[in-house]
Amino acid sequence: MPEINVTPLGAGQDVGRSCILVSIGGKNIMLDCGMHMGYNDDRRFPDFSYITQNGRLTDFLDCVIISHFHLDHCGALPYMSEMVGYDGPIYMTHPTKAICPILLEDFRKITVDKKGETNFFTSQMIKDCMKKVVPLNLHQTVQVDDELEIKAYYAGHVLGAAMVHIKVGSESVVYTVSRNKHAATAWIDKCRPDILISESTYATTIRDSKRCRERDFLKKVHESIERGGKVLIPVFALGRAQELCILLETFWERMNLKAPIYFSTGLTEKANHYYKLFITWTNQKIRKTFVQRNMFEFKHIKAFDRSYADNPGPMLIGKFKRQCSVIMPGYCVQGTIGHKILNGQRKLEMEGRATLDVKLQVEYMSFSAHADAKGIMQLIRMAEPRNMLLVHGEAVKMEFLKGKIEQEFNCYMPANGETATITTNPSVPVDISLSLLKREMALGGSLPDPKKPRTMHGTLIMKENSLKLVSSEQALKELGLNEHQLRFTCRVQLQDPHSDPDTLHRIYTHLKSVLKGYTIQHLPDGTVMVESIVIKVSSSAEDSNAKVLLLSWSYQDEDLGSFLSTLLKKGLPSGLC
Amino acid sequence: MEDAEFDDILDDWFIESLKTYKDLHVYQLEHPTQVIEWTSEKTVCVAGYSLSKNEILELRLPLKLFADENKGLCAERDFKVAHGGFTDGPVRRLRHIPGTRCVVTNDGLSSDLQVWDLGGDDSDVIRRTGSIAGRRNVSERGSRIAARLSSPPQILHGAQSSDIQLTELTSGRTLYKLETDSADPLSSLQFVTDAVFLAGCSNGSVCVADTRTSAAPQLSPPPASSGDSVLWWADASVGPHPSSCRVIRLSSSGQAVVSDLRKLGGGAVCQAQLDVQTRCCNLDHVRVSWAPMLDDCISVSGFGGVVQIYTTCGWSMELQERQPLFQHRGHVVSSQQTDDSVPVFTTAHIWHPERPRTLLSAASDGSVHVWDWVDPEQSAAGSPIPRT
Repeated sequence: MPEINVTPLGAGQDVGRSCILVSIGGKNIMLDCGMHMGYNDDRRFPDFSYITQNGRLTDFLDCVIISHFHLDHCGALPYMSEMVGYDGPIYMTHPTKAICPILLEDFRKITVDKKGETNFFTSQMIKDCMKKVVPLNLHQTVQVDDELEIKAYYAGHVLGAAMVHIKVGSESVVYTVSRNKHAATAWIDKCRPDILISESTYATTIRDSKRCRERDFLKKVHESIERGGKVLIPVFALGRAQELCILLETFWERMNLKAPIYFSTGLTEKANHYYKLFITWTNQKIRKTFVQRNMFEFKHIKAFDRSYADNPGPMLIGKFKRQCSVIMPGYCVQGTIGHKILNGQRKLEMEGRATLDVKLQVEYMSFSAHADAKGIMQLIRMAEPRNMLLVHGEAVKMEFLKGKIEQEFNCYMPANGETATITTNPSVPVDISLSLLKREMALGGSLPDPKKPRTMHGTLIMKENSLKLVSSEQALKELGLNEHQLRFTCRVQLQDPHSDPDTLHRIYTHLKSVLKGYTIQHLPDGTVMVESIVIKVSSSAEDSNAKVLLLSWSYQDEDLGSFLSTLLKKGLPSGLC
Repeated sequence: MEDAEFDDILDDWFIESLKTYKDLHVYQLEHPTQVIEWTSEKTVCVAGYSLSKNEILELRLPLKLFADENKGLCAERDFKVAHGGFTDGPVRRLRHIPGTRCVVTNDGLSSDLQVWDLGGDDSDVIRRTGSIAGRRNVSERGSRIAARLSSPPQILHGAQSSDIQLTELTSGRTLYKLETDSADPLSSLQFVTDAVFLAGCSNGSVCVADTRTSAAPQLSPPPASSGDSVLWWADASVGPHPSSCRVIRLSSSGQAVVSDLRKLGGGAVCQAQLDVQTRCCNLDHVRVSWAPMLDDCISVSGFGGVVQIYTTCGWSMELQERQPLFQHRGHVVSSQQTDDSVPVFTTAHIWHPERPRTLLSAASDGSVHVWDWVDPEQSAAGSPIPRT
């Protein structure tokens, strides 16, 4: 039976170091190559020894596909390609390709330079690894080779995140990490892959509405301003900056607020640049407003100059006193000041040994967009996969979700190193010649039915990409070949004193009693026929009491022919008349 | 709604909410729930009520709600599905057995109860472990369920006043049966002390009995003004504070009557005509509840899409119209319902046992809100005072 094998090397019944091997139609694909952020030793890398104990991975993998730039999905990529060894193509979207090396380098710096670890990839390795990257455009089919094709779709989540559709022949797999509401869903509607691989991490979350998050954000901002304080909002995420600006601008208008809002200019140009580069990757809302107005042409939001910091009165962004606040709208990487402040640190050590006291109020607000329980079920029901496979979740916390999915679909949940073998039932469409179809229909019986398959005989012609079923005569004609008939002949020695005709008659009687249900004829030309098998009797030249039986049959009656020759070799029973 | 332009989002209710709520969380379940029940300090149980298969979920409340000191540093504002299970029928009543990881449910179609194990750390699946037979096979409104801490665990249940019994959970043994002549359908059942319980009937009468004795229950007939087609719901306020031993009865026409629990026969203490604005023809989901941590404060839901908070301070024997102190209109304003012909209505609400002004409410569109309202009356007189 044809099958697809899926083996997680990381994120199987676990969270972190996402790395999933898929074997489909003879092709081996690695989905993601992440780092487990919770370990400091080799456990942070996926276990590549599963693929091969020694040697490079190039021979064993047809391609690697990276879904998005988070380190638990791409953090082990330079290690895999440069330290273990892989020279084949690595596919990822353009934004992922732009952002990955930045995060990898940051991470390398913190791990090697700050923490002093040694068995780690170098800056050069990151560069060499990125040279192997083949960028993907959305909705564009990429032929990895003659048989394997892949296509990327918008997944929402973070900038550049993609859902991937992998196809070999008529078998397909879709891989998705946390899809959010804004992901393009039309394409996935009833795409019916053989397997849908999805993360289960957020399947147990029920998200608070975006509206409430925005409400809290505006409430904090408003309270600070009312107290006469200043508010600083450090923003890294590209889409967030603009979204928050629009939100604040609209709020200011509605509430008739006068306090100035400043935006750091350093970020402006870089942000604008990246924006233009990746505009197709942002959601509809941002794209629409970006087109309508330049990002920084707001009424209440102005470019920031350091000298403003000392201005009296409330403002958004500036020098900090106790009534001031910092609102962090996103995740801060470990090792940064932001991360320390969010962990409650009130004293910061700066370079040059100076310490700063954190006196202002800190607010951490999460605006990150990822799917939740409802989102995952929606995705599964839309895609209608033949099988579902869950990764990136702890086994204990996935049982309920598995049970829920199993009410409608098959569901697998392999652990790291465990292979889930999924049998597929690929239907291969074949054209049938009209004459062959007519002949089959003339044989009678019920009409062809998917539940009651009917065996039929014909010749399959595979020409380029088309498959055709024709009758054997037509096939021979097309090929310009003659039809050959095969007949087998066999001689059997028999001890029998009777005359030739008598012996023949005795054979006829014997066969009639043994082979009930078969057509047995004693023909006037001196032969006995059993179906198409011809039996002749002649006297032996050497021995007068011996007879030589000549049996001949066409290849269709091979079985019966062999049976008859074995039977007759045993001789005739004595009681025959 | 998520795709609306920012201008639409900044509607009046939204802007108002900056001042009228301290905390506000809005969630969307896959299926609406009619039950919200605390199973621990930080977890609640909800369940679906469609006629076929449903899910029971134990949800962990967002960490942000409980982070008092470092609230700002906690971004976690989502519900977590801690445990989940599947039922074969609707869940119309759900009660947690204190001191255990068990909940008991009733489908509203018969008086039988289903017993479930919520599960621990080793599994996230809620499993059915048994059932308890009720006293009648078919029941129009199903059984009401009550429980309090006891060892071994026990469950008080019944569909009408003549059916009420106390059953031991593990053995199924009946420990007590209420002996009464009347067979009125129940609309509420709760323990007021370890042994004493209150049963509210939908005709407006209440009875108080002690499970330790077979003495006749104390009965209070329906309030005088009650008509034939009027339905009633009740809630008793429990606690050591003397003023907290009260019963409130609410009618389908919005009449609220307060009585002293210790002197049931003595008639009403005060009453009021509430502005319930009935929008529903089906009043299966009405809830009235005393606030556990505020004096003289009640909540009402189920008449439409709103949860109302009233203060009973200043109520007299005169049937005067009273306006709510606060209204949570979130379910109506943020409705995710696609079918506009059927208005959204609230299906359940519950107070947080310790945070004075925090409530959870659910509605027919699957929404669940967690909200901490700001008392609009800043003056000392007439505003509910949190208990110390």
